[in-house]
Amino acid sequence: MAKREVVGMIGLYDDPDVLISAAETVRDAGYKKWDCHTPYPVHGLDDAMGLKPSPVPYVTITAGLIGGALGMLMMWWMSAVDYPVRIGGKPYFSWQAFVPITFELFVLFAALATMGSMIFLTKLGSWASPLHDNNVMIHVVTNRYGVVLDAADEQFSEEQARALLTGTGCQDVRPLYAPEGEG
Amino acid sequence: MSDATSPVPAAAPVARKVTSIGLGLLAVGGALSAWAFFDEDLRTRFGFGYMVGFTFAWAIVLGSLFFVALQHATASVWSVVLRRVAEMLASPMLILAVLYIPLLLVALLHPDSTIFPWRNPTSEMAEHAVHVKGSYLNETGFLVRTALFFSIWIFFTWFFVRGSLNQDGGRRADITERLRKFSGPFIILFAFTATFASFDWLMSLEPNWFSTIYGVYVFGGITLSALAAITLALSALKRSGLIAPELIRKDHLYSLGGLLFAFTCFWGYIAFSQYMLIWYANMPEETIYYTKRLSNGWAGVTVALAFVRFVIPFLFLLSRQVKTDERKLGMISIFILFGQLFDLYWLVMPNSFGEAGPGFGIPELGPVLFFCGVLLVAYGRFVRRHPVVAMGDPHFEASRGFRLH
Repeated sequence: MAKREVVGMIGLYDDPDVLISAAETVRDAGYKKWDCHTPYPVHGLDDAMGLKPSPVPYVTITAGLIGGALGMLMMWWMSAVDYPVRIGGKPYFSWQAFVPITFELFVLFAALATMGSMIFLTKLGSWASPLHDNNVMIHVVTNRYGVVLDAADEQFSEEQARALLTGTGCQDVRPLYAPEGEG
Repeated sequence: MSDATSPVPAAAPVARKVTSIGLGLLAVGGALSAWAFFDEDLRTRFGFGYMVGFTFAWAIVLGSLFFVALQHATASVWSVVLRRVAEMLASPMLILAVLYIPLLLVALLHPDSTIFPWRNPTSEMAEHAVHVKGSYLNETGFLVRTALFFSIWIFFTWFFVRGSLNQDGGRRADITERLRKFSGPFIILFAFTATFASFDWLMSLEPNWFSTIYGVYVFGGITLSALAAITLALSALKRSGLIAPELIRKDHLYSLGGLLFAFTCFWGYIAFSQYMLIWYANMPEETIYYTKRLSNGWAGVTVALAFVRFVIPFLFLLSRQVKTDERKLGMISIFILFGQLFDLYWLVMPNSFGEAGPGFGIPELGPVLFFCGVLLVAYGRFVRRHPVVAMGDPHFEASRGFRLH
């Protein structure tokens, strides 16, 4: 078998507390391109990994405001400009009656943008993962916790990554190879 | 009870401080109230002012009791470290019942009082609608219902607060079981009593008008002011050292901030629903309520209410950073409590000033200060006698470690 390209290094842990301290070590070592894989949300992992607050809320509020403004604009144009009909003796532009739809469009835009930006930022939909190719996905979705160091990180080298993960108390460090036939 | 018997040594100075501020407010508010009461010209205005002061205190106390019951009903673990604060806030229910008597004397039993216009069927307000409602809106019914409301609230305040205090000695899980079992039935009773109390005490100030969503509107205010009071008291007790700082994590604050934000939205939703449906249907017997509040200078108050109660807290609480910052949460809590007062002013005072336009003076200020003082004195007494953290709860340790993510 030809030697395949190493795309990362995974350390598999059996204890979430060890995972947390490992994540802190990797964070403090200055790694940029790395991730943790756990079968369920581990409390405190965000802080241990030093993750910055998500930009999704800003996308949500911006899209919501745009949606609300568009909703109000649409109803103003339809009810007061394009096809004015006097209803119940009220003004053509009756903002009170337009509030529910403005609100609905605010929510619709905000929800879709939240969903879309979440999918984009978490890279959902990129179906290939070195974890699948190397038969370790089965561990991190069932009963073990993984720290993956990406070879694209500037400090990454096989020896250094292995040493770092072993130093965190990991008994099971494995290299991740690119799939055969791809480089 | 002397300070020496205090369960927490550090509690005595804090209790003294709270009590002395409370006594000061109580004295000033009481003097202003008495002045307004004994002045023939100001007595009716005083009656309405007392209504605002009373319902302000009532919202905090009853809302806190609801909060406690809700935590038991949902078997919440996150709130155990701060549940005693809500229990403390709910504790003066009996005092409130006693302080309802002056209102009854001024507003209901005083023969010349015009505060509840349905009392006197020969007055100008005695229109068809009032006669139809006579089987509900009469003095006997009002008194019986009010007595019933307070009996239920006082019993359950005793039940929930005493049960929790009895746990302080040891971690008795059977008490938690019993509190949980009765929390559901209480919430049902709470829904009915709070709704009908808001009909009797507030909506019947304008007996020709009605709104089926009124009880929900008042419930929004009750819950919001209780949450704001819990946040504020928690922050004050933590700062004074009675609650250890490491006990309350950012995750607890974020949950309280999230609830404040949710109920701010809830209030806005309900308030606008009520307004929009009445605006849309355009029925004279319904629009009278908003016509009164959009003319003679009241329009400014109505618009200000929308900002004070919804827009400003909404924009402020939108930020995650604010919801985890104790000082900012405390500030917005004070603002939300002010919003509750402003809301009650908007609900009640158009009947006091009417076409003269909005006004404010001693008869309005006195009772509010008085009730703030009463609450503070009661809370000072609680702090002196009981720990402000429910350390005996079986879920206390789990609650300390509560994390959101």
